[in-house]
This record gives sequence, C-alpha cells and structure tokens, in this order.
Amino acid sequence: MIKYRKQNFNIWSILSFVFIALVIMPNINIFISIFQKPNENWFHIKEYMLKSYILNSMTLVIFTGLFTVIIGVSLAWIISVYEFPMRSFFKWGLILPLSIPSYIGAYTYNGILNYTGVIQTFLRNSFNMKIDQKYFDIMSIKGAVFIFTISLFPYVYIITRSFLEKQSAALIENARVLGRNLIDIFIFVVMPISRGAIIGGASLVVLEVLNDYGVVQYFGIPTFSTAIFKTWFGMGDTDSAIRLSGVLMLIVIMILISEKVLRGNKKFSSTNTKIRPISRIKLKGFKSNLAFGYCFFIFSIGFLIPTIQLIYWSTLTYKKILNIEFFNLIFNSFGVAAIAASLVVIMAVVIANYCRINENFISKLYSKATLIGYSIPAAVIAISVIMFFIKIDKNFYWIYKMIDSDSKKMLLSTSLIMLIFAYMIRFLAVGYNSIESGFEKVGKKFFEASRMLGMSVTQTFFKVDLKMIKPAVLSAFLLVFVDVLKELSLTLILRPFNFNTLPTKVFEYANDEMIPESSIPSLVIIIISFISIYLFYKIGDKESA
Amino acid sequence: MRKKLLLTVLTVAFSIVLLVGCTTKQESTSSNEGNESNEEKVVNVYTSRHYDADKELYKIFTEETGIKVNVVEGKSDELIERLDREGEDTEADVLIVADAARLHRAKSQELLQSVESEVLNNNIPENLRDKDNEWYGLTKRGRVIVYSKDRVNPSELSTYEDLTNPKWKGKILVRSSSNTYNQSLLASFIEINGEEKAKEWAKGLVDNMARDPKGNDRDQAKAVVAGEGDIAIMNTYYLGKLLNSSDPEEVKVGEQVSVFFPNQDTTGTHINVSGAGVTKNANNKDNAVKFIEFLSNEKAQSIFANANYEYPANPNVEPSELLKSWGEFKDQNISLNKLGENNKKAVEIFNEIGWK
Repeated sequence: MIKYRKQNFNIWSILSFVFIALVIMPNINIFISIFQKPNENWFHIKEYMLKSYILNSMTLVIFTGLFTVIIGVSLAWIISVYEFPMRSFFKWGLILPLSIPSYIGAYTYNGILNYTGVIQTFLRNSFNMKIDQKYFDIMSIKGAVFIFTISLFPYVYIITRSFLEKQSAALIENARVLGRNLIDIFIFVVMPISRGAIIGGASLVVLEVLNDYGVVQYFGIPTFSTAIFKTWFGMGDTDSAIRLSGVLMLIVIMILISEKVLRGNKKFSSTNTKIRPISRIKLKGFKSNLAFGYCFFIFSIGFLIPTIQLIYWSTLTYKKILNIEFFNLIFNSFGVAAIAASLVVIMAVVIANYCRINENFISKLYSKATLIGYSIPAAVIAISVIMFFIKIDKNFYWIYKMIDSDSKKMLLSTSLIMLIFAYMIRFLAVGYNSIESGFEKVGKKFFEASRMLGMSVTQTFFKVDLKMIKPAVLSAFLLVFVDVLKELSLTLILRPFNFNTLPTKVFEYANDEMIPESSIPSLVIIIISFISIYLFYKIGDKESA
Repeated sequence: MRKKLLLTVLTVAFSIVLLVGCTTKQESTSSNEGNESNEEKVVNVYTSRHYDADKELYKIFTEETGIKVNVVEGKSDELIERLDREGEDTEADVLIVADAARLHRAKSQELLQSVESEVLNNNIPENLRDKDNEWYGLTKRGRVIVYSKDRVNPSELSTYEDLTNPKWKGKILVRSSSNTYNQSLLASFIEINGEEKAKEWAKGLVDNMARDPKGNDRDQAKAVVAGEGDIAIMNTYYLGKLLNSSDPEEVKVGEQVSVFFPNQDTTGTHINVSGAGVTKNANNKDNAVKFIEFLSNEKAQSIFANANYEYPANPNVEPSELLKSWGEFKDQNISLNKLGENNKKAVEIFNEIGWK
C-alpha cells in the first residue's frame, strides 16, 4: 500500500469539495429546521398521521425491495449463466421496463384493469360478464408494490448482471470444477460475491420508492412523500413538511447504514488483467422453455403490455396531440437530459476518483453526501434549490449589473440552469453508484502501478482509469439520462417560462384526467429511453467482445 | 488557512455558475429579444390550468392586443410557494389557479394586489370574486352527487348532509382528502353548519364509504357504473369529460350516471372557482389587468366554458348545451374566501376522523 498523504491537495480534491459543497449547501436549511422547535401542527401530524405514513412507506419499501431483488437477481443469473432462445434479446430487453416511469405504469395499468379497461370491457361486451371489482383493484398497496416492482427491478438486474458477467467467471467455473451444482454455486458463491451489487441496486429501488409521489398519490396511499406534500401545501406548513423530510432522511440514513453492514467490508476486485466472460450452459427442452417463459413474462408485464396499451390509446388521440409544439417538447426533454447526464457523470467521476484514492473519513463523507439528493423527496429539493438560487441572485446582482447593466435580478433563478442544477443534485447518486462500482471492479492495482511509474493522478486518470471504467461511465450516463428524461416533480416546479418537457405534458393530461391523451408523450419518453438503452447495450457489447 | 481555502473554492464555484449563467442570458436575449425591456409587451402568467382551450385564449389575446403571453404551468400550491419565494423579484404578473381556497391562500400570503377595474366588476358577480378585488373567479364548478341511473332513484337524494344517513352505508364513492375540492367542500360546511357538525358529517361519510378513497373524479363515476357503490361526489365537468372522451367505453360510463344538485331546498350546491389575480410585484400590471379583463369577457368565457364543461363566471354567457341539459341550480351562498379561511381546519378534520 502506498501512502498519498502529501498529494491530498490537487485539482481532484478541490473539484470534489466544490461539487459536494454544491450538493450540500442548498439542503442546509432542511438540516437546520429538523433541530428547530416543532410548531403545533407537528403534534397534530404526529398524533393522527405519522404512524400510518411510516407503516405504509415501510410496507412499500420492504416488499418492493424484496421482489425487485428476487426478480432482478434471478434474471441476472439466468441471463449470465444459461443459453436459451432469445437470450441475447432479453439481455437488454429486460432493461426496457426502466424506460416506463412508474407514474405512467400506474396510469396505464389502471387503464387496463379498470372498469373501462380492455380486460373488463372485453369480458362485458363479449360474454356479458361483470366481475367483482376487487379482482381488479390495482389502486392499493399491493398494486403499488406491483407497479414499483415491474418498473424498478432493472436497477437490480443491470448492476447484478454486469457484475456477474465481468466478475465471476473464474469463481463460478472453479466451483463447478470442484463439483458444485449450479444452485449451490448460486447460493454459496454468487450471492455472497455479488452482495454489494445486489444491495447497491436494491438501495436505488428503495430510494425511488420513498421518493415517489405520482403512483402513491394516484392510488391514494398515504406515505411520507404524500404527507410532505399534504403538510406543505394542504396545510401550508413548510416547517412541518421539512421536518417530515427530516424524518424520512433519518430512515434513509438507517437504510444506508444497514446497506454498509450488509455489504460487509470485503471487497471483491478482479485479480486478473483479463476479464473473461462465463461460458454459458445451453439449456434444452423444458428448462429452456422455462427460462424463456420467465424472461418473456417479466418482459411482458414490465414493458410489452403497458406499451401496447399506450399504443392503442395513441391511435385514439394522435390527431389532437401531434403538432409542432410537440416536437419542441421532444427537443427540450432530450436537451436537458443530455446536459444534466453529462454534468452528473463528470461530477461522479471526479468525486469517485478522489474517494477511491483517498480512503479516509472525508472521502467516506463525500461518498455519502452524493446520496443526499436522492434521499430527499424531489419537491423538497426543488424548494431548497429555489431558495439557494434566489440567494445567489440577490447577492450577486451587482456582478450581473457590472456585466450587463440591463440585467434582471432573478437571473439564475428564472433560467434553465436552476433546473439542471436540481437534476444534478437529484441524480448524482445514480451516476455515482455506477461509477463507484466501476472503480471497485477495476481495483487500485493499475492506478498504483501507474503512479509508481511516475504518472500524476490526472495523467493516470485519463490514460489508465478512464479507459477501464468506460462501461461504468456509459452506464452512469444512460441511467441518469433516462432518469432525467422521466423526471416530473422537479421539472414542474423549477422550469422557466414557456418550458415544457414530455413528463410535464404527460402529467398535465393525467392531472386533467385525460389519460389516453397522455399516451403519445409517454410513448416518446419510452422510445427515446429505448433507443438510448439499445445504443448503450451495443457499445457495451462491443466493449466486452 | 482552512477558511482561505474554503473562500477560494467558493469563489471558483460561483464563478463557474455565473459564467454559465451569463452565457445563457446572452442566448436568451438574442432569441427572445428584449423580454424585459418595454419594446415588446408581455404578460407573464403562472397558471395551474393547462387545457388546450386556455392556450387558444392566450393566442387570441396576443392577436388582439399584441401582448405576448408567457406561461409557467404547475400545480397551484407549488406556484404559490414559488411566488412566495421569489418575493418582489418575481417575473410573474398573473396567477391563475383552480380552487378558491388556493386563491385565498395567495391573497393571505400577500402575493396578490387589489385591482380597480370596471370591466371586471361588471363581468364577474360579486360572490365569485374577492371582496378586496385581489382575485376574480373565471370559471365555476359544482361539486355534485352523481348517481347510478339503474340503482338510485333521484327522489332518494336530497342534501350532502343526508349522505351520512345509514341507508347509504357502503354505497358512497369519493376521492381522497388530499384533493382540494374535498377540502373546500368540507370548508364550506364548516362555514354553514359549524365545525362540530362538519366533523360529524365527515365522519358519517367515511362510515358510508364503499371503499377507501382512491383515484380521481372520473374513477369514482366508473366505480359507480361497475357497481362498487351507488353514488359518487364529484365535479360536474368530469362528467362532461367522460361523455366527450376519446374512449368509447368512458362515454358509456358517462351515459349510465346522472347529476343531482344537492341542497336545492336548503343551503345550495357547493361551488368552487378557478380564478386569476394580479401578483403583488407585477412588472406589467396594466397588461395583467388587460389580460384578466379579456378572460372575463363574453368571447373568452364562452371558450372557457365550452371547452372544459365548466360554468362561465360571467352571467351574460350561456353555459354549453350539455351543462344546460343538467338543469339550473342554486349555489351555496357563502363568500368563497371562507373556503380558504377554513381550509386548514378542514384538512385537520379529515386527518382526525381518518378520511384517507
């Protein structure tokens, strides 16, 4: 082990500090207000509401977490280890459910299952059958778990699969040579070594669930995020809303700590220079059908069925929707997503590189701080970002005037920069997680070798590290891009004048109870995500070939 | 030492932010020539309404007056919060939100200003506007009882209060209490019947609910037709939307239910408005007033009302044929400001009695 103490102060450490400061600063208000004296509303909330919020949120988190892990890991295992019909399609096709935002999933599935939906209509019109509504009740906690599971399991799947593919060939094959069967290997070898990846994916799922507002609001399930909105807006009580966010944050911190404990301290990084893919086992007959059937089933409920429903709706409404304004929407959505994703990747790479080189208290703090934006509900971030930017505008107005004497005072806080900044805070964790695991996989051997051979940290980064973590960088970009493309709450609150994106359009239609009209913008979100997922997959495939 | 470093770093950070800020600024001035100079006339609108008809209206307004309409759309509460944060530096000139309670909140947070306008006073009846002229109702919605034509005889229906009668046990459908329309409904009962009675009503209604509140207003009508319950509390215009839906199955649902205007012999049917006010710190106040005046005139009102199945606020404008077919009704005769004043109490009652 080489010590780097002397070199702690360089461009990487400065930039990391700046980025982390930018993430933390807007949120300081929230931290502070947790420690302030509660107002009388708070006692009302505590007495009548808090218990059911905690209970509902925890139920959603636990069951969604459980099911996404079961589905995500089992798919990752099947895809990595077996060969069966259409495997190479499912390999990336199973990421596609990620392109359908959970709120769109909720609108769509309710559209399919409700009284005027295709199933009941068919039964009614063809067989004159009227079935008890309780069999179609998706607007419940169970329904929400279903929606979250099918739209979020790819987080677990992607991370676990890429880990298994890059990491485990030698271990799995050694175990096989030693006479273990595949199920044993799965339990005793794969699960322990990929624990970090699985938990990493699951924690993204959990945070998404805690943050969701669209699904739970539509389904009428009181959770923390609905509570925050209700207290903040329904009761006009910002203090209590922020306090609730504080409680939520405590829960998130507990989850993150238990994640660390569950992950353990062991690190599994590749010891070979060459990453060798697993040689897959060809399945035959029943087993092959089973693997195909399982993948197809998950792909169908996660992607195919909702997409078909949306396509059907779009045939009913396209005349109303398609116009020039609509192409503007596509352009806007695409633009902000690409900018935000690039910036997040840069931030994440800088911080992750700094943290892995300097393993100390501060770097641990940094890597936790990247999660802040992801753990606070989007609406709370939005308000903290507004406050932050208004403060900047007020304090820097004299500079604006110096540059342009006509400058308006609310320069940044009425610009797209504020929105993009909020995206960066919100999705830094998504990018960071991916890049951190990329670095973990590579390990520090090459870095150390390069440093010993006299290259600086920066030279090493561009000549050695960046090339090795390229897939991680791409996957970080992809995940953030798709996330921003789907993002709703922040965009709604922070967008400047005359700026609409596809999700805000979807929301408007859904909010006005015009779900069929929302289908075309929904489909475009899905198509753009689809293409980016496919492109990424192709690049990744070439990379490993 | 530490402090110095921190300072340097912060300066660097802000310079980056600023630099990016200024480049964008230049872009926006070149593409959006002189937005804040007086050369081009603009009105900046924060609105929670985002119907296509509204956009049509903005276009007509621009054609008629040469004043460009810039729009930020969002949820009412979030827009109010944003307006509040922006304070005197806001760019917004007009706030348009649905629900009188939200208009009242904007007023009580001192975000609106009083307007002197003969046109508005003539076009908008007194009960649909703020007593200090800080906001004006533009469209009117009734929150009514919608019932199954098959299973309910309208003679069984009478008042909102009667819905707590045990004969309706397991038969009533209504959406969640986080919905502002429900909050305003309860707020009106607090005003009319007093807090205790209002609370009893809410409790009685929860006891009679067919299921836990979920979904939106349309979903309540569907649940009625599906047989989950017999009657639903919902806004009239959602029925209009069902009947004019692009989905033929939704049209069928609309056809199987009917509207009942409650409390016609007593206190009147609960109504709410979506309305507009000029923001306190409006930079384009004259344009803002012109804009709201335009929205209140007969032409705009009939577009408003026909496109979205709402009742026009301007009494000189006829409601659409569909609305007329439901018949005329007597409004709740209370000041709409009360919906706002009682809002907090209403939310608390909902929480206490467990209306989800």
